[in-house]
Amino acid sequence: MPASSPVAIAAVSEMKPGRFPDMDGYDLYIEVIRQFLAEWSLKPADIQGLLACPSGMAGGGSNDIFVHEQLYEEMGIKPLFADTMNAGGSTYGLMVQRAVLAIQQGKVESVLCVGAGKFPKVSTGGAESMARMVSHEIYEFPYGTFIPALYAQVATRHMHEYGTTVEQLAEVCVSSREWALLNPDASTYGSEALTVEKVRQSRPIASPFNLYDCSIPLEGGAAFLVCSEAYAKRLNKQPAYVLGMGEFHNHRNIHQATSLTDIGCSKSGQQAYAMAGLSPSDIDFAEIYDAFSINPLVFMEELGLCPKGKGGEFFQSGAARPGGAFPVNTFGGLLSFGHTGDASGMSMIVEGIRQIMGIAGERQLDKANAGIVHSYGGMMSEHSTLILGRSA
Amino acid sequence: MSDLTSAEVRPPAKPQPRITACAAPYWQHAKDEKLVLPYCGECEASFYYPRLWCPSCFNQDISWKQLSGKGKVYSYSVIYQSPLPSYQGDLPYVLAIIELDEGPRMMANVLNCDVDKVCVDMAVEVLFEVRGDMKIPQFQPA
Repeated sequence: MPASSPVAIAAVSEMKPGRFPDMDGYDLYIEVIRQFLAEWSLKPADIQGLLACPSGMAGGGSNDIFVHEQLYEEMGIKPLFADTMNAGGSTYGLMVQRAVLAIQQGKVESVLCVGAGKFPKVSTGGAESMARMVSHEIYEFPYGTFIPALYAQVATRHMHEYGTTVEQLAEVCVSSREWALLNPDASTYGSEALTVEKVRQSRPIASPFNLYDCSIPLEGGAAFLVCSEAYAKRLNKQPAYVLGMGEFHNHRNIHQATSLTDIGCSKSGQQAYAMAGLSPSDIDFAEIYDAFSINPLVFMEELGLCPKGKGGEFFQSGAARPGGAFPVNTFGGLLSFGHTGDASGMSMIVEGIRQIMGIAGERQLDKANAGIVHSYGGMMSEHSTLILGRSA
Repeated sequence: MSDLTSAEVRPPAKPQPRITACAAPYWQHAKDEKLVLPYCGECEASFYYPRLWCPSCFNQDISWKQLSGKGKVYSYSVIYQSPLPSYQGDLPYVLAIIELDEGPRMMANVLNCDVDKVCVDMAVEVLFEVRGDMKIPQFQPA
């Protein structure tokens, strides 16, 4: 199979995020796969490869690094390509990229990519265990780090360099909530709309972030099937083609990032545009990993979707909202859909796939010929950019 | 009894960094209240954090050099709510990335400063905070 042969995602499913106290990470995995198989009527022979991610990392120190073995055995398949892999939030974007290469290499026709995530409650030591996981044990953690405080470094620096305001950060949250109110699976569906004032009046966590600048910790999971074009078309008359992809691994610890406003996303983005032969003006919508309000704002700039330093103005303009000129995080984002711990990097990919397939319900975009999906792992440490489209 | 009671109310100690072999000189000098970082003669530059080779050129012939201890705030956050038991008594506190005058950046708290006065580019200088039998570099307004 030639290296440039089209690859597409033919099937997708995601659990509605929630709290599942009676299920561990593995139970969630099984439920995700059960829902996926039920939704798409697949047979064991349809799945030739399997990529999974450890499911208990957010709890601090998962040891289920053999999860792929247990999953393929329990499913009843004998894959030709399988692994448990991890790159934090970028895991699932990189799964797509590894699957595309395996398919183009001719190893397999299809790869099931699956993730399930637990998210320990912040109040029960979960935040401390996660702080230990994402900051340097010796040179960061002893200074009282935890996740919002580390992301806040990027926000403060952006505000300093470009004059971005806390109100503009709040606009990201407002926009995401508007989308979530159109998504029955979002955890805030049926809630009140957010306003800039409500975000600013929520309790301060780590400046410039207030509570509503932070994503909502929940649990869940998702699965999708990456296929050769012929295979994909057999399962779905409108699969989501992987037109471009790129990855970049910049740092591990946030204080080691060379720049806090050009943090690696631009590198993976440029690779994806080059492979797709597309430029930012060809993209209809963006799904961007948003653990905090600052992320979509910075990454819109890094992906060339708005001018450098103008991310705040972009969100303030309303362009990202329903009916806007350039929709962003149409599922509600992790800010308003929910952040499913180890599986959080699935949600923006799932939505990108659904928009391209045209199955996004009330929030389906009129124009969704090409969309960009950016996810990252760690403290904006490593990056995956995908460009998905309706035709190869 | 009184000992038990005081142990119950004393907040847990703040984390004491683990000393790795390659960083032993860094911590030894810190104990003497000197900020001493690894230095690469090839690059003519100090780097942080200590490791066995220069991350810019892989040179393993590393020496140690005392820095001025002066720098500025590169970025920061004022922490109003922290999950860390040992930091509860410090709320609100400042977690910052400090850019040293000699170039390297490091994470630290900004101490002895009204949290509302901290800003990017604020001039700071090193001081040392006791952690158990160690001292760790921290910063305060210069």
